[in-house]
Amino acid sequence: MNDDNRPPRPAPVNNLELKAALLLALFVALVAGTALYLLYARGSFEATQRLVLVADDSEGVRVGMDMTFSGFPIGRVRRIELAPDGSARILIDVPRTDAHWLRDSSVFTLARSLVGSASLKAYTGVLSDPPLADGAERKVLVGDATAELPRLVSDARALIQNLTQLTASDSALAASLGNVRTITERATGPRGASGLLLSEPDAKKISTSLDRVNSLLARIDGMAAKADAQVLGPKGLVNEGRATVAQLNALLGDARETLKKVDGVLAEAQAVAGNVRGATTDLDALRREVDTTVRKVESLVDEVNRKWPFARDTEIKLK
Amino acid sequence: MSPLSSPQGAAAELARNAGQWLLGWWRTIHLAALLTVLALSPASYAPENRRAMARHLYLGTTQSLAWFTLLSLLISIVVIRIVLVTAVSYGLSQYALEMVVRVLVLELIPLAAALFAALRCTIPLAAEIATLRSGGGWDALAAQGIDPLRHEVLPRVVAGSFCALMLAAVNSVVTLVVAYLSVYGFTLAGFDAYTHTVGHVFSPAVSLIFLLKILFLGLAVSLMPIASVLDTVARRRANTSAELQGLVRMFLVIVIIEAASLVGNYY
Repeated sequence: MNDDNRPPRPAPVNNLELKAALLLALFVALVAGTALYLLYARGSFEATQRLVLVADDSEGVRVGMDMTFSGFPIGRVRRIELAPDGSARILIDVPRTDAHWLRDSSVFTLARSLVGSASLKAYTGVLSDPPLADGAERKVLVGDATAELPRLVSDARALIQNLTQLTASDSALAASLGNVRTITERATGPRGASGLLLSEPDAKKISTSLDRVNSLLARIDGMAAKADAQVLGPKGLVNEGRATVAQLNALLGDARETLKKVDGVLAEAQAVAGNVRGATTDLDALRREVDTTVRKVESLVDEVNRKWPFARDTEIKLK
Repeated sequence: MSPLSSPQGAAAELARNAGQWLLGWWRTIHLAALLTVLALSPASYAPENRRAMARHLYLGTTQSLAWFTLLSLLISIVVIRIVLVTAVSYGLSQYALEMVVRVLVLELIPLAAALFAALRCTIPLAAEIATLRSGGGWDALAAQGIDPLRHEVLPRVVAGSFCALMLAAVNSVVTLVVAYLSVYGFTLAGFDAYTHTVGHVFSPAVSLIFLLKILFLGLAVSLMPIASVLDTVARRRANTSAELQGLVRMFLVIVIIEAASLVGNYY
């Protein structure tokens, strides 16, 4: 063998094969360690339980995406499949260590945001409820921010149109504001609030009326003073009324005496009337006797008439 | 009238060139297949051959590893810092770590490791083979009944591939550690969240594509330069040197592998 034609050999290395073996071992260790770490990171060594979320639409959901609880990932989407009824079934693996956050009363939402991917979230209101069973199937509530956009835009457009109409120069709002300005100008004018409420001639009339009312009140005041003097003065109505009452008292005493005398006359008249009543009683007995006698005479005359040859048949017979 | 002056002649020349080009690729693939068979053959690991393989493997890797680790450490720190600051300024800090892992570990480190291994290890090894061939050593070995492919080429190809794989593995781990330290600092508090993010990025499909990419990049950077210097037909015809041809082919293969990995990861 011609060594001159071989590539130049580098200086010999001590323990070359050992060092090469160490290098290989380092490589194998790195690869194995990385593989184990990735398996751990993928949750391959964790016991999990299955949760099935049913949604009308699985858009935005990807295999491998997280389900979060209070911002912490507690589950991972393993599979998305189409159910026989057309709904989307999202199969999620939840590590057993985190499964206690999910309860029977837990609520699951799928929110699609404007930026970033969709997010699956779990909410548990009552942590003392029974834990969610393995393989439990739950409906997922879908909140789609993009779906709200068209409605939001149309609402905003309507709002802007209303605002434009409101703020237009010929709008009702502008006219109202003009009126308010006129009112405030008049209110701050020389006649104040009265100028605001009344026209100028009416305000003058009101002012004149007030003056006349004032003078009338002054006159009424004078009249009241005079009436006071006439009623309550030394020769007033009250004193004269008192004397009149005394005279009336005397007259009433006289009238009482007179009435007593009339009482006596009446008693006597009553006694006379009693006598007359007794006489009337006797007359009643007499009348009864006369009536009896007359009835007897009548019956006698009737008897004579029946027995007389010219007696008539007075009976009425049915033939 | 020369053949090139007519359109038929130009078309025939073009077809001949395309045929030669395809034949060149076929020879490269054939060489790769031969070397694979040799690598899988226990006879290739006879004590003398094993020593040669160990020497190439050790020297080729150790003289690249420290430098490349230092270089990738600096690049990682800068890129991680840029990504973090940019993500925070846009309010997207929750995506920063995932982006760092994807950009650095999945894309940049394997590519940089392959290129660095090519420059520091496999191209010099191919140059040694070229020297051996040009000096007549190749034919002398063949005359002595020693298969130069098994005793000279295979150890160098294995060493070049290992160098690329080792650089990628070490620096991927270093970058993962630097990313953790850049985001969370010297604390274990963020380990669970970080592990979760890494697990999120390295889905089974992405991990498989990552492994295949590193493997094929290692094979490409170790095989293509040596295949070029061994391709005597191409060297006789071409105006350019075998090393330059090897570089062009190697870059072409690297671009194809990178594109295929991007398509696999993101489409």
